[in-house]
Amino acid sequence: MTRLGLGLLVGLSLVAQQPAAPKKAVPSNDPRLAAGLATAEALWKSGDFEGASKAFGAIVVADPANANYRVRWGQLFFERFNPGEATKLYLEALAIDDKNPQAWLGLAEVQAEEFNSKASEAADKALALDPKLYKAHEIKARMALEDDDHKTAAAECDEALKIEPNAVQAIAIHASVDLLADKPSTWTAKIANRAEGFDTIAHFFVLNRRYEDGIDYYRKAIAADPKLWRAHAQLGVNLMRLGLAGEARTELELCYENHYRDAATVNTLRLMDTYVDYKTYESPGIVLKLHKKEDEALRPYFEAEIRRAMAVFEKKYQHKLPQPVQVEVYPNHEDFAVRTMGMPGLGALGVTFHGISGNAIAMDSPSGRPPGQFHWASTLWHELSHMYILSLTNDRVVRWFTEGLAVHEETATIPDWGDRITPDIIIAIRDKKLLPVAEIDRGFIHPKFPEQVIVSYFEAGKMCDYIAKRWGEGKLLDIAREFAKNRPTVDVIRDQLKIEPEAFDKDFLADLEKETEVTVKNFKEWTTGLGEVNKLARATPPDNDAIVTKGRALEFFYPDYVEAGNAYVLVAKALLAKGDKPGAMAEYAKYSKNSGRDADTIKAYADLLKESGNSTQAEKELERLNAINPLDRNLHERLGALYLATNQAPLAAREFGAVVALNPIDVAGSHYNLAMAFKAQGLIDKAREETLTALEAAPDFRPAQKLLLQLESAAEPKK
Amino acid sequence: MGGGVVMRSVQFVCRGLKGRSSQEWLPYKALLALFLLATQAQAATYFLTVAGLGGEPDYETRFNLLATDADKLLRSGGGDRVVETLKGPDATKAKLTAALTKIAGTAKIPDVFILMMIGHGTFDGTEYKFNLPGPDITGTELAALLNKIPAGRQLVVDMTSASGGVTPALKHDGRTVITATKSGSEKNATIFARYWVEALRDPSADTDKNETVTALEAYKYASTKTAAFFTEQKRLATEHSVLEDQPRAAAFPLIRYGAAAAKVTDPAKQALVAKKEDIENRIDALKYQKDLMAPEDYKRQISALLLELARTQEALEK
Repeated sequence: MTRLGLGLLVGLSLVAQQPAAPKKAVPSNDPRLAAGLATAEALWKSGDFEGASKAFGAIVVADPANANYRVRWGQLFFERFNPGEATKLYLEALAIDDKNPQAWLGLAEVQAEEFNSKASEAADKALALDPKLYKAHEIKARMALEDDDHKTAAAECDEALKIEPNAVQAIAIHASVDLLADKPSTWTAKIANRAEGFDTIAHFFVLNRRYEDGIDYYRKAIAADPKLWRAHAQLGVNLMRLGLAGEARTELELCYENHYRDAATVNTLRLMDTYVDYKTYESPGIVLKLHKKEDEALRPYFEAEIRRAMAVFEKKYQHKLPQPVQVEVYPNHEDFAVRTMGMPGLGALGVTFHGISGNAIAMDSPSGRPPGQFHWASTLWHELSHMYILSLTNDRVVRWFTEGLAVHEETATIPDWGDRITPDIIIAIRDKKLLPVAEIDRGFIHPKFPEQVIVSYFEAGKMCDYIAKRWGEGKLLDIAREFAKNRPTVDVIRDQLKIEPEAFDKDFLADLEKETEVTVKNFKEWTTGLGEVNKLARATPPDNDAIVTKGRALEFFYPDYVEAGNAYVLVAKALLAKGDKPGAMAEYAKYSKNSGRDADTIKAYADLLKESGNSTQAEKELERLNAINPLDRNLHERLGALYLATNQAPLAAREFGAVVALNPIDVAGSHYNLAMAFKAQGLIDKAREETLTALEAAPDFRPAQKLLLQLESAAEPKK
Repeated sequence: MGGGVVMRSVQFVCRGLKGRSSQEWLPYKALLALFLLATQAQAATYFLTVAGLGGEPDYETRFNLLATDADKLLRSGGGDRVVETLKGPDATKAKLTAALTKIAGTAKIPDVFILMMIGHGTFDGTEYKFNLPGPDITGTELAALLNKIPAGRQLVVDMTSASGGVTPALKHDGRTVITATKSGSEKNATIFARYWVEALRDPSADTDKNETVTALEAYKYASTKTAAFFTEQKRLATEHSVLEDQPRAAAFPLIRYGAAAAKVTDPAKQALVAKKEDIENRIDALKYQKDLMAPEDYKRQISALLLELARTQEALEK
């Protein structure tokens, strides 16, 4: 599947709906328009935003050629949480007057808020039209710091301060540069207790996943201005991220009651209302929160996988988490998105929040996406890797490294997990769109093309793979420890790898290009060929010989492709039609090894394995599916039966227990199977209980009746 | 307790009605008993499966495969049955009319008639049409043909798109109708048929484990799986199957397998048969009382009865 950005997209919060100290629209000479504008401004100031909007609407209708009215109206929309309408009005203003600097500035603000890299262009246009617009420099400074480009950020701040020596955002960004580097800052005092300055510092801490520090600065902002509702809202959202729901709720409700109802506040409060539908399971080191509709089915698999991953990471990172890890699993993807960002529409699958006072991994449930599209166990390992690295580095790790390492971990322990190279990534490699290691963070924060976030995950992961391959797996831990000292990427690369960053890029790209050479070179041919082979497979009757020949060539070109219409499955089916079962099994094996996730395909493979007497491999293949969709009843029935047949009764009981937990159509049969698994373990009482449940559903169910009599006989005291 | 056969039949239905409260379906008991009494007689079951026009090669293939599977499964379904299937170019209005007319000339009042329709349907707000190669057949035309079939119990399983639109036309005493959609306005191609045919093959559809898959069991299986499909795929459900008369549907056995129909003929075991039926009735009665009883008390009593039933069955089989 295509991963839409994994983990740690946190901190990209929709914060400061904070229009740049707007110039009010110039009053018209027409007394009615002047009065209308004055009314709009007065209503805005009094907090009657609806009234103000109507008043702006009226003067825009009365004087449609006035771009300034639209700009001002746009600023109102931006302040009141509607960037979409704001953007429309700024663009309308620019259509009337493309030399309106305030319209460009407004557009830059909205785009910067949305982490759109085009904001910089809009800010430049505003500055070209009005070089005194220091706010445009502040926007550019903010974007640079978001990209971890401290030098440019400081330079833009200086430009802003030349124009307005007291520019609070420029001062706050300067302070943020120091504070993020753990240096004392002389700039902090210059904020002079202005709440919006502290709010900006908090934003940068949160963006760098330093939630505790961010929370501290939001508190400072609130202390400076208790009515800065934006800071209250962000404080609430970030407390929530660390699992501190009580205080989070208080802050968010305070915002709501004071009519600060941005999407993040309202969505988060609504999500909190649904928490009654979740059940929390606590065990040593783990707090697991599952929705009641699937908790019993998911719990065994999640708990086991969390424990397994923690054991591996504790050893590998030589680090023990100081507090239990909280894992929250959301069946509704939009609930997960709100939990993460306060907003729906997030493409990520999982997110990690780490702090001293709390932590949480929030992720999609296997039921949150169509079966086969989501490898939940892989995501869980990815997020747990973040948790360990954030803890180990005291949240100082740079984005590319923690993401790259997490991607690396997806396949480091279990090679047939993880995501494979997608067509988007192949195109990016072909078109030389990968970023140098010193700049790769920009690909996560301000992507310049739609797929750049995905490409950056892949590239960061491959960088970690490359480091592990060339310098050894242990070097990754050494690097993590260096990042814990809050050192920049270029210094860490030089010190730890004894190589200049540019040389690292050159060697890494050479290695990657060699690895992907065949796929990149034959991509066009593969694309055409895949269509042709699928067409052959749809023909009646299909030309199986041609499918096998052409399909195998496609596999060679692009072995990682296991999505819809992939060559492995087509070739396997063609071979089966020709009666070549071993050949088909070999194809399915390749599909599975390359992380193929389609349940029907893996089940077909398992059937062939079982038929050939290889039950052990059949079990392994079906277990792979448990890491993808543990809500598949049919899978548990098959796997349970296999385990029971191979005398692995505890595993059989786990599988049949999952069937029972999934409200099966066949109640009697499911409980009977579970009873058999308990009986095989000698758990007579449990077996009897399940048998009686089966018989209650179907009293004449002969196998269950026979089992009940056997169990009664076994339970009777021997004479 | 009432007469053995009748009461036994009632229990059979009970077990097909899990989830329905006793009060809710008690009025059906006498009626069902009569149905099943009829089943005990030498009644034949006529099955007619029709796979309509696919329109596109994918649908054509899918519909034909489903009809072929259904045909094969029904033919091996046990009991006295007549199975006919129309598909591909044979599924014309003329051939469907001929098949129904033929059954009308053969079937008797005690017999059972089951029509299964796979394919596309349309509904214009007034009239439902089943899409066939050549002219379509309307719901009204279909009803007229069905009305000529003397079989006292009829089941129509219309699994096409817009099939909910056929229900008013098909309403008739003794006829049970299952549709894949709740109304004529659910116009997307349906997936219900896939799971209906799967129910004929999958032993887990036999939820009461009496080695018979009834229309009610198949319906529950197919409707549950259809709903799950849309949930899992994160798609808006475009079909909602309907079966208004569940107790009647429980009286249509579709597939029998194993020793389901085996009768005990040894006079020496008649007492055991009576005992078994008595226990079964007591189990049903106890289940009705479940909500009113202390859980421990219920558990103790049901466990004892289930054990007694198992022992009785074992004695019967000796």
